[in-house]
Amino acid sequence: MTDSFGKKVVDDIAASDIVETVPSALLVLDRDLHITSANRAFYQTFRTSAEETEGSHIYELGNRQWDIPSLRTLLESVIPHRATVEGFEVEHDFPTIGRRTMLVNARKIFRPGDHDGFILLAIEDVSEERAARAESKRNWLLTKSIVDTIRDPLVVLEHDMTIVTASKAFLTIFGITEAETQGRGVFELGQHQWDVPALRDLMERVLPENKSIENFEIEDDFPGLGRRVFNLNARKISQPGNHTSRMLLVFEDITDRKQRERDALTLTNEISHRIKNNLQIVVGLIAFEVKRTAAPCVLGYKAMQARISAIAELYDLISQSSHGRAIAVDAYLKEIVKSMSASLLGPESGITIEVKSEALDIDPERAVPFGLLVNELATNAIKHAFPDGKGRIVLRVQRVGDVIELTVADDGVGIKKNTVSPKITERRGADYVAIFVRQLGGTILAAEPEKPGTTIRIRLPLLLVLPEGAEPIAA
Amino acid sequence: MAVVLVVEDDAFICELTEMTVQDWGHQTLSANDVDEALEILRSPQHIDILFTDIYLKTAVVGGFELARQAIKMRPHLCVLYTTGNFVTNDMRALFIGDAECIRKPYTPRQLQTSFEHLLAAHS
Repeated sequence: MTDSFGKKVVDDIAASDIVETVPSALLVLDRDLHITSANRAFYQTFRTSAEETEGSHIYELGNRQWDIPSLRTLLESVIPHRATVEGFEVEHDFPTIGRRTMLVNARKIFRPGDHDGFILLAIEDVSEERAARAESKRNWLLTKSIVDTIRDPLVVLEHDMTIVTASKAFLTIFGITEAETQGRGVFELGQHQWDVPALRDLMERVLPENKSIENFEIEDDFPGLGRRVFNLNARKISQPGNHTSRMLLVFEDITDRKQRERDALTLTNEISHRIKNNLQIVVGLIAFEVKRTAAPCVLGYKAMQARISAIAELYDLISQSSHGRAIAVDAYLKEIVKSMSASLLGPESGITIEVKSEALDIDPERAVPFGLLVNELATNAIKHAFPDGKGRIVLRVQRVGDVIELTVADDGVGIKKNTVSPKITERRGADYVAIFVRQLGGTILAAEPEKPGTTIRIRLPLLLVLPEGAEPIAA
Repeated sequence: MAVVLVVEDDAFICELTEMTVQDWGHQTLSANDVDEALEILRSPQHIDILFTDIYLKTAVVGGFELARQAIKMRPHLCVLYTTGNFVTNDMRALFIGDAECIRKPYTPRQLQTSFEHLLAAHS
């Protein structure tokens, strides 16, 4: 008794309440396709009422707006042969609600003793979903057409490094078809040229850490292309409102640029080799003069060797600055000092030379006279300031307004005030200083007699303001 | 007194270097390219120091290859490279063992100091 009552309650719920509460529009048709009932969702969706609907033939309903060829096919050709149909899509311009895409699920239902049964139609409005899908497809095609216009080959990758799409340039350059790329891992392409552990490591961090890859260089033999150098750049890409993200990987062919750089380097090395050999001969010849020369002249010859070494250092820096870059004065002075210490002082010397410079860049065009000026001032200090062979020389460069100030200070004996006529070789050193300062458009500042030793201060308009992104040359 | 093999593609520099080294009381041998140098190294001649230019006319980094082969034949040989070019870290990676390098143009004093270092380290 209780069971049959319970079943009755369930039947009642199934027949009314459940039907009324489901979000899909439901229609029940008899075997002649007359509507026996519809639910609230149907009336709301199609802006109609039970009076207008129940008892009507489905094709007659609402000014025959349901007389749709595709629905006729479903009801008259498909349903009679099948008990259920799912996902039947009907696109139609409904007079009351406009153009809509409906997803229709149909089921034939039989009651005991009723062989004809009736048809339950569940109609779901999927217009917005389909429109979104169409929009997404349009966006994708637009993106792909933009991607295809980019000359550099590129691919879009999933998290697992499989290719979602490859640009036309990629397919053309690497001689593969779209079908061969889609769904394939990027590391499996070609002869596994991109399967480089360091690159793999970087690529695996692009999406989780949002870390781009800039200019990863790969040189290899590529089928049909020969030896090539590619620069790889990768970054995370995601659509606004879309939680999934993908990786854009761009391949820049830098083979020609690399070759030009290598040619330039070979040429620079060749020229450098020749020049340095010639300077070596000059240094060697001076060394032989030193052996035959009376002691007072030896220091002069050695100073000449130091000047030649300074020019050699400068040559290296100038050849590097051929791209118009600036020279970092700190590193530059340290190289000059290294060379000068080796040629004039030697490892056992009690004289030290220190460089204390701000991080400043100077014009490469005028680095040679600047280097020779520093060399002369330091050489003068070595020659005159330390009769007992011990002492300290400090080379300092600092910015003063828009010029640089070079200070060469020693803690030696200082300049003798009563020196009336210095020897010709000493005068020569001072003459060179005057020449280089004049050449550089600089000014020698008054000496500071209260300080011990000798301090020479020179202001020079050598400061170079680097354009953004340019890097100075480290010696 | 040490025996120095000078390998230098510029004949004039080679001769000047030999004269300088002989002035310090050392004995010298000389070669202008890798093959000539290897021939001397294969001979029973005693040699203490190989002083080689890195950039030799017949081979861009011939000095590296020469030193590599020389050390295979004579593991206790002192090696001193010279070059007029920049010595980059990549180049340093090609130096053998405790070899030193002296930049051109070097003065006799710089060369002598390098020899003394090497001989002291190998004594």
